[in-house]
Amino acid sequence: MVVSGALMGLVYALIAYGFQLTFATSKSINFGQGELVMLSAFFSLSLLNWGVPYWLMIPGGLLFGVVLGLVVERACVRLTLEQKSEGWILLTIIFGLLGFSAAENIWGRDDRPFPTPIPTEAMQFFGVSITPLEISVAVGVLAVMGVIELFKRKTLLGKAFEAVSADRDAAELMGISARHTIMLSYGLSGLVAAMAGILISPITTVGPTMATALILKAFAVAVVAGLDSGFGVVLVGIFLGALESLTSFYLGSGWREAPGLILLIMALAVRPNGVFGKASIRKV
Amino acid sequence: MLIVDNIHAGYGTSEVLQGASLEVQAGKVVALIGANGAGKTTTMRAISGMIKPAQGRVLLNGKPVQGYGAARIAKLGLAHAPEGRKVFGPLSVEDNLLLGAYNHLPMFFGFRSKAAHDLEKVYDIFPRLRDRKQQSAGTLSGGEQQMLAIGRALMANPKVILLDEPSMGLAPVIVQEVFNIIRRLKEAGTTLLLVEQFAKSALEVADYAYVMEHGRIALSGTPAELHKNERMLAAYLG
Amino acid sequence: MLKRLLFIRGAELIALAILATIPLTVSNTYVLGLLTLLAIYGILLIGLDVTVGYLGQVNLAHAAFLGLGAYAAGLSVSLLGFGMLGALAVSMAIGLILGGLLAFPALRLEGPQFALATLSFSALSTTVLNEWEGLTMGAQGLSITRPELFGFSLKAQGFYWLCLVLLVLVWLAMRNLLSSQWGRAFEALRDSPIATDAMGVGTYRHKVAGFAFGSSLGGLAGGLYAFNFQYLQPQSFTYDLMVILLLGVVLGGRKSLWGAFFGATLIVLLPNLLSNRLLFEIISGLGLLLAIFAGAQGLKNKTTQPFQAIAPVIAMGMLVVGGYMVENTENWRKAIFALMLFSVVVGLPDGVMGFTARYLTRLFRIAPPDLPPASALDEVLPAQQADSKPMLELKNLKRYFGGVKAVDGISMTVRTGHIHGLIGPNGSGKSTAVNVISGLYAPTSGDILLQGKSLPKGSLFKVARTGVSRTFQNLQLFGELSALDNVMLALKGVYRSPLPLVLLGFARAEEKRAQADALALLELVGLQHMARVHARDLTYGSQRFLEIARALACKPKLLILDEPAAGLAHPDVNVLVDIIKRIHQRGVTIILIEHHMDVVSTLCDVVTVLDGGLVIAEGTTEEVKRNPLVIKAYLGIADDTDVPDVIPAVI
Repeated sequence: MVVSGALMGLVYALIAYGFQLTFATSKSINFGQGELVMLSAFFSLSLLNWGVPYWLMIPGGLLFGVVLGLVVERACVRLTLEQKSEGWILLTIIFGLLGFSAAENIWGRDDRPFPTPIPTEAMQFFGVSITPLEISVAVGVLAVMGVIELFKRKTLLGKAFEAVSADRDAAELMGISARHTIMLSYGLSGLVAAMAGILISPITTVGPTMATALILKAFAVAVVAGLDSGFGVVLVGIFLGALESLTSFYLGSGWREAPGLILLIMALAVRPNGVFGKASIRKV
Repeated sequence: MLIVDNIHAGYGTSEVLQGASLEVQAGKVVALIGANGAGKTTTMRAISGMIKPAQGRVLLNGKPVQGYGAARIAKLGLAHAPEGRKVFGPLSVEDNLLLGAYNHLPMFFGFRSKAAHDLEKVYDIFPRLRDRKQQSAGTLSGGEQQMLAIGRALMANPKVILLDEPSMGLAPVIVQEVFNIIRRLKEAGTTLLLVEQFAKSALEVADYAYVMEHGRIALSGTPAELHKNERMLAAYLG
Repeated sequence: MLKRLLFIRGAELIALAILATIPLTVSNTYVLGLLTLLAIYGILLIGLDVTVGYLGQVNLAHAAFLGLGAYAAGLSVSLLGFGMLGALAVSMAIGLILGGLLAFPALRLEGPQFALATLSFSALSTTVLNEWEGLTMGAQGLSITRPELFGFSLKAQGFYWLCLVLLVLVWLAMRNLLSSQWGRAFEALRDSPIATDAMGVGTYRHKVAGFAFGSSLGGLAGGLYAFNFQYLQPQSFTYDLMVILLLGVVLGGRKSLWGAFFGATLIVLLPNLLSNRLLFEIISGLGLLLAIFAGAQGLKNKTTQPFQAIAPVIAMGMLVVGGYMVENTENWRKAIFALMLFSVVVGLPDGVMGFTARYLTRLFRIAPPDLPPASALDEVLPAQQADSKPMLELKNLKRYFGGVKAVDGISMTVRTGHIHGLIGPNGSGKSTAVNVISGLYAPTSGDILLQGKSLPKGSLFKVARTGVSRTFQNLQLFGELSALDNVMLALKGVYRSPLPLVLLGFARAEEKRAQADALALLELVGLQHMARVHARDLTYGSQRFLEIARALACKPKLLILDEPAAGLAHPDVNVLVDIIKRIHQRGVTIILIEHHMDVVSTLCDVVTVLDGGLVIAEGTTEEVKRNPLVIKAYLGIADDTDVPDVIPAVI
């Protein structure tokens, strides 16, 4: 049970990772990321219903996520970043609201099952009961994060990405367009959200509210780990997931949201830049 | 190679540059000197597109580039080693250099081998960087960071290099070293626009120099001419 | 004066009179219900505007405070038997205390992290309300009876008047707060938190207090909400409500009491507007026209970018077209909110009231009230003893940034009453040194003593409080405040009234005194005629002088001037020298970082020369100028034979 909780925690980590991607390049995050998860899941489900085979559905769903990410960047983020304001917080919240309402009306308010070819019967490993589906979630999360990290470290474009997060002006002087890099980060962050949606849907079912609780915990993970800490999110995600399943076991399932939120507020009190985050230097 | 024609630029309401003009010919080292706040760095920033000039023209290789973004101007062959060095602190020395050549290298794979030759050339000029190529740039000393910034600019194989206060914050010995490097670049035929607070050292390496005052060019000439100029002597050379 | 009363107070009085008399003429219970809700939401949104508008932070916890306040009021009636006022006091206290507790950790954060923290808080409070069934009845809901007020049981009409009275009180309290030092501090900390701290006005404590105050209004509104509906459910206070509240504040216009009121009206009426097809079409059509008009005007005046003009038109267009296509607009309620909010945030960042206010101020120019005569300078800035004892001592001070040793072991002593010059080539560590002294950076190692006592490290605010004040090389003025307000904000020792008295409007005398004192300081730097001008509209030179006046308002023992002459035209440099001389005469110790050697030699008693983060020379200007090390450092020549005998006049 603790292990399944920890595996769920990996999904929080994946979404939190999506926040880190955009924060690195633009110091902004998409507050409507949960709706991106949900919309991509719905879209993938529709692909399946239209007769698209499962393994083709995945790239289709991911592409949809990328497109949504780019739309968010264009409509909600770019202008306010140019104005050096924090209007993007409000605008991405608004985008989430619009997405939520659209999903409610297009796909309905009910939760729907998401078919999967991966077996869901529990297996026993060293006395721990775990389903192949849960394992597939873990594998999927680590694979996506691994590929993106490899991209950032091993390709020149990835290094350019890091350069923009380190010093935007200097990166521009190298001929690296900060605007394109920010678009790239939002695209990747949309891809990550879509992946999270596809991975988690078979377990949670698909519905407009499927990501509401999920996203809160992803926020918690991102802030506790620090918005610039790379793999710190994985550790915090696993920890939080495990903690949650313990809480819901001992205090009742209604309380399962509580530890993450308390953890978040406490972590902020002790280390405002996150447990794994770096302190920032104020400049005059 | 680079012509700046009557540019006006500034930050917010304050107009720092009030019609500055200068010219850098291919293969020459040109120095831009002047008091603090005269507008030297602003001129550099306006040329490389970090700020947009309100008026005037910037011609790079005959092509007007004023109003372009910095990334676009960099692609056209201008490398700017900015004031304060601005190396990418968290990245390794080698990654910093590779990013200097960003415009010439493939985006995904094989960029390391393609850049190997240029990397070696830069490492030959700055052997200290070779020793530290895996170290993250933020941990370098000020002098090493300055060399990295120059090396990064060289990696672009640019038509023109803008070098803004390479001596800033460095110990005198290191400053000497930096000027020796500039001399070597000059011998290799690099086109260079150099902003420098140490007027005397700058004049020793430059082919031609401009003196800035209050956002305008007050004087210009070859170092020999400037050495004879009364006003120049009184104000800058003591 | 009369005009001022007529227009500003007049509008308020008329609105109040209309609101108060409607129940006498209209006996429709539905209308009364709406009006009551309007008053409650008015209080709620004024509270939310404190954080969203004045502090400039996206606060997502306000709906939670409404809920917590509502439950607190309800439970204090049913469990503790409190009366109306007692219960409302409890709900305010709950908002204040929980708001403060949340603000302490959360306001150490900026922007997105703050929004996330408040979002988590509101999710947490919903969880608690849902799960603590023994107290809140959980999802079943809690029924409440409306308690008596001084022994009278209130009918719907009476309760409405109570809400209205409370709204008026909140309105007045808010106006008092905003016209006091607090209002200035709110404005200032959005412009430059660094300067706010450096002037000894704690950014953090003002933010926490502001947030707690706003939350207590949320709690109060919650109490009224509970007694209005007499039935509470946790799911009424979730994220959805929060978004609607944000819609109200942003659409109405941030930083405006009228904006909050307008937003409340809108929220209350919106469900009715959406359920009526014709009304919806009219409103979306009007919205589209407004978007086109505002966008076209913005483009014509070049105040907006193309995206800013076009995006709202597209969004409102979607609303109009979508309105025809869908069958039931109520199902799309959230999408409609979203599109409207999007258009306003992008196209009208000041909100509807901000937009109209700009037109109104152009129509009616109202002169600000007269200023009192300036105080005597002796009272504002008493002369200090210049006894040449050590004022500031640096002991082997170091500050590294990664591998860069910006300051690498500086020791020096600044004597009381001296003007101590700090010079050196670019990047020699002068600015870093004063940034460490003034607390912007913590030193890597070493000690700083002020009059023999250790200075606090790494806190601008604490250092400012001990009597060190500074100006900034890159100006850090509060651009949105007038010159006078810039100085008043920093004024030390005048504001003594605690917050409750300020809210009740008892701080006016202090305010007059502060204006008089600030005027005296403006006179000292020659800006007395510019008192009402916004700092951002002053000329560059005047901005520099204003920063000096502001720094003096902290009544410093030690004043640090960081390149005050940078970028000044020649006549202004002469004015600057005069100003510094005048300050010197009052016995203030000064550290002067400067590149203009003529300024340094006219003013400084002692000069310390830095290079490469180290002290390379110290002495009088003449001594220093002849020091070969100094000449070398300035000319950057390591092995020169023909060293000139003086260093350049202008470096």
